[in-house]
Amino acid sequence: MIVEPQQARVVIPGTVRFLLLAFLAVVVSITSTATASEPNADSTLLETQQVEPVTSLVAQDFKYDNGERIELFWVPSVDDRLVDGLVTGYEVYRTVNEGDPQRLAILPPGANTFRDEAAEIDSVYSYYITTLAEETSAKSVATEPMTSEREWLNRDRGYLFLIAFVIAAAVIFFVETAKRGKKLFIRKIAGLEAIDDAVGRATEMGRPVLFVPGIHDMDDVQTLAALTILGRVSRTIADYDSKIFMPVSRSLVMTAARETIKSSYMAAGRPDAYNDDMVNYVTDEQFGYVASVDGLIVREKPATIFLLGAFFAESLILAETGNSVGAIQIAGTARPAQLPFFIAACDFTLIGEELFAASAYLSDEPKQLGSLKGQDVGKGIAMFFVIAGTVAATISYAWDIGPVNDVLDWLNQVFSSN
Amino acid sequence: MKRQIPLLITFFVGTLLIISVFVPPLGDLERDFTLFFDIIAVFAFFLGGGNLLRIHLMKLANRRKDWGFSAVTVSGFLFMLAIGLFKVGNPGGIAEAVDAEGSWFKVMFDNVINPLQSTMYSLLAFFVASASYRAFRAKNREATMLLIAAFIILLGRTPLGVMLTGWIPEWMSVAQIPNLAVWIMNSPNLAGQRAIMIGISLGVIATSLRLILGVERSYLGGDSD
Amino acid sequence: MEHFGLWVGAFLTLGIYSFLYRDNAWYKLCEAIFIGISAGYWVVILFWDNFYGKFWIGREEEPMLWVGAALGVLMLCRLVPRIGWISRWPLAFIVGATAGLWMMNYFSSNIMAQVQSTIMPLLGEGYSASFGEIVGNFVIAVGTFAGLIYFYFSKEHKGAFGATARLGIWVIMITFGASFGYTVMSRMSLLIGRIDFLLGDWLGLIQ
Repeated sequence: MIVEPQQARVVIPGTVRFLLLAFLAVVVSITSTATASEPNADSTLLETQQVEPVTSLVAQDFKYDNGERIELFWVPSVDDRLVDGLVTGYEVYRTVNEGDPQRLAILPPGANTFRDEAAEIDSVYSYYITTLAEETSAKSVATEPMTSEREWLNRDRGYLFLIAFVIAAAVIFFVETAKRGKKLFIRKIAGLEAIDDAVGRATEMGRPVLFVPGIHDMDDVQTLAALTILGRVSRTIADYDSKIFMPVSRSLVMTAARETIKSSYMAAGRPDAYNDDMVNYVTDEQFGYVASVDGLIVREKPATIFLLGAFFAESLILAETGNSVGAIQIAGTARPAQLPFFIAACDFTLIGEELFAASAYLSDEPKQLGSLKGQDVGKGIAMFFVIAGTVAATISYAWDIGPVNDVLDWLNQVFSSN
Repeated sequence: MKRQIPLLITFFVGTLLIISVFVPPLGDLERDFTLFFDIIAVFAFFLGGGNLLRIHLMKLANRRKDWGFSAVTVSGFLFMLAIGLFKVGNPGGIAEAVDAEGSWFKVMFDNVINPLQSTMYSLLAFFVASASYRAFRAKNREATMLLIAAFIILLGRTPLGVMLTGWIPEWMSVAQIPNLAVWIMNSPNLAGQRAIMIGISLGVIATSLRLILGVERSYLGGDSD
Repeated sequence: MEHFGLWVGAFLTLGIYSFLYRDNAWYKLCEAIFIGISAGYWVVILFWDNFYGKFWIGREEEPMLWVGAALGVLMLCRLVPRIGWISRWPLAFIVGATAGLWMMNYFSSNIMAQVQSTIMPLLGEGYSASFGEIVGNFVIAVGTFAGLIYFYFSKEHKGAFGATARLGIWVIMITFGASFGYTVMSRMSLLIGRIDFLLGDWLGLIQ
């Protein structure tokens, strides 16, 4: 890993730096307000109502970025009020390397923060805010010249890293353990046990199998999970010599699905039975796709329908149409809002995590099953913290016991590091 | 070789994006990926759109059953391409946004796509009714739990819920259907949502790891060439 | 023109509804129109928004975008059977990036956040919770725990473990029921919207 060379220097904690800056800004702004309140020589201004500038303007480097962000905080003008307020907005100005000021943004009344996202590491920046009123304006004191800094590690995410590391390590550990031949127990999942029978039924009835991989593209893990299940299902279809239809709503999914089915047919020793037309593109439009699949269902009357992947409102339209032709339906999604509809309308539903476990389960490969055991370690960790955290919070809020309070604070700190 | 390179690409890109969460200078990678994906999707459309045309033109050429509808699909597709890509019928010409007010493209969206979308969506009202009927024949204890919860929430959102249980005295007010509905939403519903979400997250994590580590490779054409 | 548009809209609306009776030529026509027009619509939108808007305009300022375009071109290798296997490279890129991104997003915004929000005092702050709230808090903690037990894969659901898993699936079913009941009403309003279009905008029978 590349680490930025650090010069030896006294490190002042961020909080102290912030307080110092805030203190300086308050002192400076009080002084400037005093100056501004002296009689103004310009008589035209006397006729309009004066507006007070913002105070306590502080510019601070944004922590844990590539050095491109600087955050500004200020106290709005005292004339920024809902009732009888004078302020119509604020302008944020920036000077780069003591050059001419440039306006960065115009903000509405009430604004008290701004993030400059176009800073560069080598430049020196100073900011000021102009308070706007009907016919006048007031400029704040400019911030001290400062630079933005690049941080190479996001220290706020230390606990996130730790927990991610432990769970990922558990998954990898059990994959490796299983590879070495250790037998791991995995319970039966009803929906997945039914797949062979469902495909067999289609063969017996001489009717096709329909596979719908949801309506999202390849940038959704649910689609990837659906395709991995397709790999196993299409192998069974190839073995049983059934027919498969797979209309898709994304071009990339079409390409990936063809690869998947083709390889299953090859693995089954039947490459000649594979045909690219098993997978066809319909349209990217959600309901256009649904209209087409609905039509396909009532015309081709598939004996078995798989609805696996990312589904939205169309879940129930498809599942109920499938029901109307008497198909066996196996559904699964990680969208909690659609799961109730699948449960009501389908024969088997893979609930959330089961969708992701399906391909590993169906593969029957030890290393894949090992990853399921690893997932369970993650669940164990989550369950431990749910119970430990609730007990600690209950004791802490009811009896205020010092060490328990510390544990609770620590837990909150751990799980807020996201 | 044909199999190893894709696996290496998946491993490298996946690992890089995981690291990027902890290394701020790599923070823009997520945005870059999204951009790349959007651009790749445009090229992929040559394959999808091409497939759509091929299927329907074949149907037309072979005069297969319902070939007339394929003619409609192909015409609609080509018509939209023509008025969209060349901005035919756009009051502002080629420099104007493709869906500018008054353009043929926008008119087609408003008068054809929009009513079709809304109508397909509204089919849900009928299907929700038939699915409810199916759910209401609760086959087992789990289905009964689903049914009871659904019924209470449904009643809780209508004046009927108040009418039916308004007589329950104040000290037992939690048993009034609207209050019970709120309690279900805030307690058992929340617990179930959390368990499901934590489970899904662990599933996503394990699936992602299997993909990145190359344990799961069926999407790349499995072990074939 | 507006009048014509209404008639087209009504024709398509009724055509789709005719499917509820049975599959028929009217529905097939609406379906064919929907597929053709919407597929064309999305090509155009993808072209102007993604290709022109994101790649063509930005390509000089951000040379990195050429990597995306190159991956896109590799995708087209599929059209030439002899080099079709190269199209796996962009697919592998997408799969790797999706897996990496989703993995960390789910770690941070789901696991961590969900566990954190479950950490709460059962009795409220300084015994402030009412009886109903205490029961509710208890149900949340135990329900989350039992729900997770249900998803456990590597242990048989038997004995006390099985009983907890059963409790877990009940909690999950109540969640689904709640979600179902909550959605039914909003789905009805969609139908009312279309009836409003047919009877109001089109026929002018209701104002």
